[in-house]
Amino acid sequence: MSRRFLAVRHGLAVALILAAASPVLAAAKASNGAIPQRPEQLRYPALDFEVPPAAPFYHELAGGIPVYVAEDHTLPLVTVSITLRAGSFLEGGEVGPGVAALTGTMIRQGGTAQRSAEEFDEKVDFLAADINTTGGDISSGANLNCITGVLDEGLGLFFEMLKTPGFDGGRLDVAKSNLLEGMKQRNDDAGQILDREWQWLLYGHDYFGSKQLTADELAAIGRDDLIAFHDRYWRPENMIITVSGDVDTKDVLAKLGKQLASWPGNGTAAAWPPPEPDFKPTAGLYHYEKDIPQAKVFIGHQGLEWQDWDDPDAAPLQVMNEIFGAGGFTSRLVKRIRSDEGLAYSAGSVFTIEPFRPGQFYMLFQSKNSTVALASKIALEELARIRDEPVSDEELKIAKQSLVETFPRRFESPRAVVRVYAQDTFQGRPHEYWQKWRDRIRAVTAEDVQRVAKRYLDPDGLVFLVVGPWEQIAPGDADHRADMNLFFGGKVTDLPQLDPLSLEPVP
Amino acid sequence: MNEHRTNHVAPRLLVAVTLAVLLALPAVAGAEQGAQVPVSTFKLDNGMEFLAVQRPELSTVYAAWVAHVGSSNERPGITGISHFFEHMMFKGTHTIGTTNITRDLEIMDELEKIQEQIRAEDRKQRERYRLGEIDNPFDPEQRTPKMVELEARFNELMEEQRSLMVKDEFDKVYTEAGGSGMNAFTNEDMTGYFVNVPANKLELWFWMESDRLLNPVFREFYTERDVVYEERRLRTESTPTGKFDELFESMFWQSHPYGWPVVGWPSDLESYSMAQAKAYYDTYYAANNLTGILVGNFDLDQAKALAERYFGRLPQRTAPAPDVVTLEMQQLAEKRMVAECDCQPQVQVAYHTVPFRHKDSYALDVMTGILNGNTGRLYKSLVLDQGIASSASTNQNSRKWAGAFTFNAEAKGDATPEQLEQAWYAELKRLQDEPVPAEELQKVKNNIAADAFRRLENPFFLCLQLIFYDGLGDWHYLNYWADKTLEVTAEDVQRVAKEYFDPTNSAVGLYRRSADAPAEEMSPELAALPAQLRPMVQAQLKQIQASQSADELESALNQLLSQKDQMPPQVQPIVPVLEKALRERIEELSAAPAAGGES
Repeated sequence: MSRRFLAVRHGLAVALILAAASPVLAAAKASNGAIPQRPEQLRYPALDFEVPPAAPFYHELAGGIPVYVAEDHTLPLVTVSITLRAGSFLEGGEVGPGVAALTGTMIRQGGTAQRSAEEFDEKVDFLAADINTTGGDISSGANLNCITGVLDEGLGLFFEMLKTPGFDGGRLDVAKSNLLEGMKQRNDDAGQILDREWQWLLYGHDYFGSKQLTADELAAIGRDDLIAFHDRYWRPENMIITVSGDVDTKDVLAKLGKQLASWPGNGTAAAWPPPEPDFKPTAGLYHYEKDIPQAKVFIGHQGLEWQDWDDPDAAPLQVMNEIFGAGGFTSRLVKRIRSDEGLAYSAGSVFTIEPFRPGQFYMLFQSKNSTVALASKIALEELARIRDEPVSDEELKIAKQSLVETFPRRFESPRAVVRVYAQDTFQGRPHEYWQKWRDRIRAVTAEDVQRVAKRYLDPDGLVFLVVGPWEQIAPGDADHRADMNLFFGGKVTDLPQLDPLSLEPVP
Repeated sequence: MNEHRTNHVAPRLLVAVTLAVLLALPAVAGAEQGAQVPVSTFKLDNGMEFLAVQRPELSTVYAAWVAHVGSSNERPGITGISHFFEHMMFKGTHTIGTTNITRDLEIMDELEKIQEQIRAEDRKQRERYRLGEIDNPFDPEQRTPKMVELEARFNELMEEQRSLMVKDEFDKVYTEAGGSGMNAFTNEDMTGYFVNVPANKLELWFWMESDRLLNPVFREFYTERDVVYEERRLRTESTPTGKFDELFESMFWQSHPYGWPVVGWPSDLESYSMAQAKAYYDTYYAANNLTGILVGNFDLDQAKALAERYFGRLPQRTAPAPDVVTLEMQQLAEKRMVAECDCQPQVQVAYHTVPFRHKDSYALDVMTGILNGNTGRLYKSLVLDQGIASSASTNQNSRKWAGAFTFNAEAKGDATPEQLEQAWYAELKRLQDEPVPAEELQKVKNNIAADAFRRLENPFFLCLQLIFYDGLGDWHYLNYWADKTLEVTAEDVQRVAKEYFDPTNSAVGLYRRSADAPAEEMSPELAALPAQLRPMVQAQLKQIQASQSADELESALNQLLSQKDQMPPQVQPIVPVLEKALRERIEELSAAPAAGGES
C-alpha cells in the first residue's frame, strides 16, 4: 500500500453534497465557473498537510543500527541506501589524504573476494541493478536500486561487495589515472577555479572540507590503504540505512539483519562529530586570472553553525536570505542585477547553517567583464539595504508564504520521507524539528529579518573573489557607472596561478 | 467514464505487452514486460491538446505546456528568437506586471518608434563595419552621437514604464501561492514551460498560463536581449569547449537549421525587433500548436472543465504551423575540425542518422547500449584494456526532423585524440563485422526494461518526458519505446552499424589542450619561465622542432646570442631555453641523414 500524507480539508456543507468527488473539485465548482479579473481573487480549498510521524518508518537492527523503511508498491522497484559516518574527516595520521574518497570509489569498481571486478560488473549489469558507492567529506554512501524480481540477488551482490570488496589492483590503477586526468582539468573551467579558491579563502587549505588532492598524494595511495580504511570504517556500527519501494517491511528487515549479522572483522565506530575548521578568513578583494569573456564572482563570508536546533535566528535567516537573493525573481539581487539591469543571467545569494562547521554566506553572479564592477556595486548596495531598512510587508509575506507552501514537497514521496529522517539521525536533528518548522517561519517579523541581517551579514568582513581577466574587469563599464577601485580601495590580492597537478604556484 | 480515475489509490502502472519469445537466455524476472503510463488525453475546440497523469499520493501538481516551436523553425536574422521568446513569456500580460495598462501600451509604442530610428542607425553601423571603419557594429564605445541621444530618450521612457510596472509580478503571484520550480526551456524543436503548484491551487496555473498566452505584453524586450547575451556568454563562450561545440554543430549540419545554436548568433541577438517577435508568436503560439500537461494530484473532470474555461479562450486557428521543410543534404565528404582549447584532449565523431520514431532509431539505441556503461565495449576497450581514455561513450540523438549519432572520448596520459578516433573505428568495425552475442544483447535489454520503470519514479521527470516526447511529435513514444527496443535483434544492430557509419557521412572534432595552458608535458625549463612568456617561447620551440635546416637554426642561434644583451631584463630568461632547444635540434639534424630532400 502507499502511504498518503495528504488530506484536503474542505467545508462541511460542500463535503456533504459532493462526498464522492475529489475535495479540490468540490471547491472549484463552488467558485461557479467565472474567471476572476485577477489571480488573487481565486478561492482555494485548504490543503491540510501533516508532517508524517517518523516512528512508523523507524526500525532498529541488532546493535542498534537504524533502518527507515517506506513501502511503496507503485512500481516494481526497490532502493536501498546506506549512509556511513566515514569520510575525509578521518584522514590524517595513518590515513593518508584522498583515501576516504578513493575507498568509496573502489568498493564498487574493484570486484569482491569471490568475484573478479569484471565478473562482478557483468553480473550486476545483467540484473539491470544499479549499484554505486561514494566517499565524501563527512559521509560515505552505498546505493542499490533494482527490479523487485531480482531483489534477493541484488542484495546478495550488494552486501558481498560491501563486506568483502576485492580492491582489484588493475582497477585501482585505472581509477587513479582517471582521477589524474580530472586533476589536469582543474584550471579549464572558471567555475571550478571559483569553487576551489572560495573554499580555501573561507576555510583554509588544511581543513578536510576544502582540501584538494595533489597528484603526488594521489600517487602515494596504495591498495593496502583502502583495505585498512574499509576494514575500520565501512562497518554496520557507522551505518544509517533507508529502504523504499516495492518491499514488505518485515521481510526486508529480516534480510538486512541477516546480512549485517555476518559482517566480518572488527572495526570501530568513527570518532564523531567531525573536527571543526581552524581558520579565520581575511576580508579583501581577491582575483584569479582567467581569459574568459564573462567573469564569475562570489562575495561573502562564513555563515552559521547549528548549536541549537531551536535557534530562534534560524527561521528569520531563511526568510532574510529568501528576500535577499535566494527567492528567484522575487528576490532583490535577481531583480536588480538581472531583471532591471540585464547584467547577469544568474544572480543570487546563499546562506547556510551547517551542523559540523560554520556554513557560508555569499552573493553570486557572472557578468561580462566590463560590468562586473557595476553588478558588484549593486550587490553591496543591497547588502547595506537589507541591514539598514526593514523589509516591506509584501516581500515578507511572499517569502514566508512561499517557504510554508512549498514545505510539503520535502515529503513528496515515501523515498523522500525516509531520506529526510535518515538525515536527521545523521546530523543529530530531532524529528520534531519538522513539526515546528512552518510555525516558526510564519512567526518571522520584519524586525526579526533586520535583526538577523545586522547580526550575521558583515559588510566589513567580506571576502570578494573574482575569476576572470583583470585588465578587462578593472576599468568597469563604458558609461563609467562603476570600476573596481570602488572596492577595498582598489587593493587586490592576485591569487597565484596554480599548477593543476601539484597545486603549487606556477613560477 | 471517469469514476475509476477519481479513486485515491495509487495508480498501478499498467503492465502491458508480454513479449512472446525473448531469447533462449534468461531475462531478468519481472523485467520482460514494458511499463505503461496511464495518460488521459483530451482536446479543446481550438485545437489545444492535454495530457494528464494522476498521481493522487502527491500533494502537488506538475503543470506544463509545450509549444511546438524551437530554433529549427527560425531563419537567418532571427536565430535564437524561440529561446528569446521563452524569456519574454515571463514579462507579464495586460493584467500582470503593470498598474496602468493603457499608459504602458502607449509607452511601448513610443519605445518602438525610437527603436525604429536606432535600427536605422544600426544599418549605418553595419555599413561602417563592412567598410572597415569600425571593428564591431555593436560596440557601445563606437556608437554614433545620434544613437547615444536615441538611447538616452529610450532609457527615459523605460524609466517611466518601470514606474508603472509591477516588477516580475508573474513570478510573485506563483511564488506567494507556493508555486515552485517555475522554469522553461527551449531546444531545437520545442519550448516547454513548467511549474509545480500545490494540489489545491491548480486553478491558478490555468489562470496564469492562459492569461499569458491570451494577453502577453513583451515588456523589457530590449533589455532582456542583454540577459540572453549573458546567458550565451555563460553557456557558450566561457566554458572550456562551448565555442567549439557550436562550431562543430554548424560544420556538421550543412543545410538543416539544426546548424545554428539554440541561443542564436550574437549579431541576431542584437537585432530582433518587436514586429518580428509578434509575427513569430502569432504563427507558433497558436492553440493548435500547444499541448498542456498535468502530472499529480487532481481530478480529471475538474481539470477538463478548467482547461475548457481558461484555455478555451485562446482563438482557434485552423492552419497548422509550417513544417521545417529543409532536408539535410546528403554529405559528400568527411568533415574535420581541429581545435585548441583549455580542455582535456578529446574527440567527437558524429554521423547523420535518423529522426525521432524512425524505424531504425531503436536499433541505434540498442547499439549505444552495447557500447556504453561500465561493462560496455568502449569502457572495456578504451579505458580498461588499452588505457588510452578516461571516458568514452556514444549517443543517438533523434531530434524531430533529423538525427545524429555521436561518439565522444577524453584522452588519458600521452594518448592523442587521433588514437581515440582510431580505437572508435575498430569498435565500430567489430559491430559491422560480427553480430552481437546473445547474452550481451540480453544484458542491454534487461537494462532497457528496468529503465522503463525507473524513469516513471519521479513525477517531475515524468512530466518532462511528456513535454519532450510530445514536443518531438508523439508522447505515446513514452509507452512504446521499451517494447520496440526490446524487439531489436542482433541482425538489426549489425545492419544499422553498416548503414549509417560511413566516413563520408561523418564529422570529426579533435580537441587539443591549448599550448599556453599549464600541462604536465611542459619541460622544466619552460615551466620555470614567467607565465606570460610561455606562449611565445612555446611557439618558437615548435618552429625549432619543425625546422629541417641546421643552417637556418645556426643563424637563428647566432642572432639570439648577439641580441641577448639588448633584450629587456624581463625577457632575458627565455634566452637559455631557446638556446638549449636550438643546440639540441641542430645536433639532431647533423646526426641524422638529410631527410626529404632538404639540405
